[in-house]
Amino acid sequence: MADPRTSRTKAQAGDVLVDVRGLKVHFPIKRGVIFDRTVGHVYAVDGVDLQLRRGETYGLVGESGCGKSTLGRAILNLETPTEGTVLFDGEDIASLKGETLRRKRQHMQMVFQDPMSSLDPRQSVESLLVEGMRAHGLDTDKAATHARLRELLQAVGLPPAALQKYPHEFSGGQRQRIGIARALSVDPELIVADEPVSALDVSVQAQVLNLLEELQDEFGLTFLVVAHDLAVVRHISDRIGVMYLGGLVEESEAGELYDLPLHPYTRALMSAVPVPDPVLEDTREQILLTGDLPSPSRPPSGCRFHTRCPWRQPTRCDDERPQLRVVDVPGASEGHRVACHWVEAIASGDVDRHEVAAEYVGSGDATTPADDGSPFGPASVQEIG
Amino acid sequence: MSATMSLKDDATPSTGPLLSVEDLRVTFQRHGEKPFTAVDGVSFDVHPGQTVGLVGESGCGKSVTSLALMGLLPKRGNRVEGRATYEGTDLLSLSDKEMRDRRGRDIAMIFQDPLSSLNPVVSIGIQVTEVMERHQGMSRKDAMPRARDLLERVGIPDPNARLKNYPHQLSGGMRQRALIAMALACEPRLLIADEPTTALDVTIQAQILALLKELVQDTGTALIMITHDLGVVAGLCDEVNVLYAGRIVERGDRHRLFARPRHPYTHGLLSSIPRLDSPRGEKLTPITGSVSDNLPWTSACAFAPRCSHALDVCRQESPPWEWESDGRGLRCFNPVDPEEVRRG
Ligand SMILES: Nc1ncnc2c1ncn2[C@@H]1O[C@H](COP(=O)(O)OP(=O)(O)OP(=O)(O)O)[C@@H](O)[C@H]1O
Ligand SMILES: Nc1ncnc2c1ncn2[C@@H]1O[C@H](COP(=O)(O)OP(=O)(O)O)[C@@H](O)[C@H]1O
Ligand code: SF4
Ligand code: SF4
Ligand SMILES: [Mg+2]
Ligand SMILES: [Mg+2]
Repeated sequence: MADPRTSRTKAQAGDVLVDVRGLKVHFPIKRGVIFDRTVGHVYAVDGVDLQLRRGETYGLVGESGCGKSTLGRAILNLETPTEGTVLFDGEDIASLKGETLRRKRQHMQMVFQDPMSSLDPRQSVESLLVEGMRAHGLDTDKAATHARLRELLQAVGLPPAALQKYPHEFSGGQRQRIGIARALSVDPELIVADEPVSALDVSVQAQVLNLLEELQDEFGLTFLVVAHDLAVVRHISDRIGVMYLGGLVEESEAGELYDLPLHPYTRALMSAVPVPDPVLEDTREQILLTGDLPSPSRPPSGCRFHTRCPWRQPTRCDDERPQLRVVDVPGASEGHRVACHWVEAIASGDVDRHEVAAEYVGSGDATTPADDGSPFGPASVQEIG
Repeated sequence: MSATMSLKDDATPSTGPLLSVEDLRVTFQRHGEKPFTAVDGVSFDVHPGQTVGLVGESGCGKSVTSLALMGLLPKRGNRVEGRATYEGTDLLSLSDKEMRDRRGRDIAMIFQDPLSSLNPVVSIGIQVTEVMERHQGMSRKDAMPRARDLLERVGIPDPNARLKNYPHQLSGGMRQRALIAMALACEPRLLIADEPTTALDVTIQAQILALLKELVQDTGTALIMITHDLGVVAGLCDEVNVLYAGRIVERGDRHRLFARPRHPYTHGLLSSIPRLDSPRGEKLTPITGSVSDNLPWTSACAFAPRCSHALDVCRQESPPWEWESDGRGLRCFNPVDPEEVRRG
């Protein structure tokens, strides 16, 4: 590729590229026909600190609605923070405007879950790829552009003939390759990939996962991979952050997270992932959580996990929000941080697991709070928190 | 088909199969288009109390198989052939009315998307009691307490209040539980679950799978579990059928199948999925190409263009179904040698 590293000569692998501080993204819930009345908020991201180091792949996992995508989008300046800042290469991206913002944007690209809906069906692959380059003034010399296009296709494993084709002529996996080539076309430093393989067939997922790994090795990219599939995330990430209801509950180097999951939610999540191995499936211990994920518009007080936590204690859990902190547990390294008041006692076995009664939490649809007097008037909604 | 009986590792059933599917074939014929055979000669047995898995990637014919068995395929524009013998009766030859009487009573189905299989304007309680009113002639008054018990049985909190709720007021996991309660209302002997947990979060999926496992154990209901997730199959099914492009390519007891996959497709699938417990840095071995590269089964192995084991014959002849000495069924000219399989 045409020397992708010129802009990065001073940068060192391992430096902090993205620094997220105290980030909150709250979406207002509007009601009313004539006057838009704000009846509540969806606390999609609610106080996140996170650093992405240059050249690493950071995986963000969590269940539906926990705020992974919103966090990813906020890092790309596609959502406006309600509070907190995102520093990209030391600069607060929310404060940038016009030309400077456009130039910064070039260094951050996104790869989407559904390649079909993110690619204009009427554009050929060539025009899709050139479009991005043109927007960032990288399409100056015809011959150079053409050479670049061929390099891009080669990098993502598509034949040169693909340039003249249209998105519908490709399979899902190939379309995802086009989406990745498009993100690469402007020579970015950071790529945020939101569920990059979850729309793909199992046999094809591995092709795209391997490609992402190769590209990272080759171009020294920084990746933020957002996914609900813990096995996928564990496979490609150097570090992993586990989210629950708008906050990070655990962060660790990928291997250590698997060997030594510490937060009660991480442990339950990990034990819930089915493994294609009957022997393991028959013998491993499962931590079955009772009840549903509370709605992010009515997050529980204190520790957000307390309504489902099998280790919940009578003190602190219900009313004091635990911070992400380095823990004092044998085997846990410096970079392993957990947001649980009782993590040390749980790890040592001083605090025991107990049964939890399931609570009704409603449809979980954040835009219809169950207590807003909807036409059917839920008879007995139990308020959480 | 009786060879499948010996495949069960626990308690070989003494009776014959509850359902025997033989050479099921479903062909769609849209106006002005070439006929398309979505299910191409599928055969399998289900014994009382057994859990049989149908696993494969999207489009391989899993849902069409289940809809054909339930008599739920649209009448126009398709042809269903073969036999599906349920306690001596061929389900495929029943009239609409006869099939309606059996659906929900003898055989019940759970779908991927519970919202689209529940009526949005009817309360959960009425929907559960309706099944019992229709099939068991119960009055609503008698059925209601039973509906309440059913909701409790499937782990729905505060069941009395939930009876009055409408589907949209329940979470995805609770809706799926409500659907399971409805399916169980008439104590069917066979349950067909088509991707019942695919739309759910993984911690909720674990709850639903545990519930299904428990129900099968407690009630002796047979279960056909349809999924694309090999992990789900590994923990749940006694016998596993792997589908590719409308045909079963490998069948076996789950322990043998996962420990020593013989079909190159099964083997390829297992080596291409990242595992939570695999050593860090282990490279995945993807299957090349995609299902759009398939050849027609009539004159070749459909998988040949993607198969690393393919021989010349694979592009010229259709591989026949054969039984291996360990009771496994296989459709392949050049299966993977058990010795070369590194998984264990
Ligand atoms: N523009 C918006 N307006 C209102 N609410 C929103 C908006 N975008 C996201 N939300 C809500 O914020 C919460 C977090 O959403 P987000 O998309 O970040 O979740 P996620 O973790 O990516 O989930 P999934 O795994 O389902 O993709 C959800 O409750 C969602 O409904
Ligand atoms: N009503 C229909 N008309 C035409 N083709 C159909 C119809 N229903 C399913 N198919 C096709 O049959 C094939 C198998 O579908 P399906 O059984 O739904 O796959 P899956 O294994 O993902 O459940 C697919 O190629 C699908 O597009
Ligand atoms: S703080 Fe309390 S409720 Fe939260 S995870 Fe720890 S033990 Fe559970
Ligand atoms: S029959 Fe041939 S092409 Fe088909 S799976 Fe076996 S070896 Fe591969
Ligand atoms: Mg998302
Ligand atoms: Mg299906």
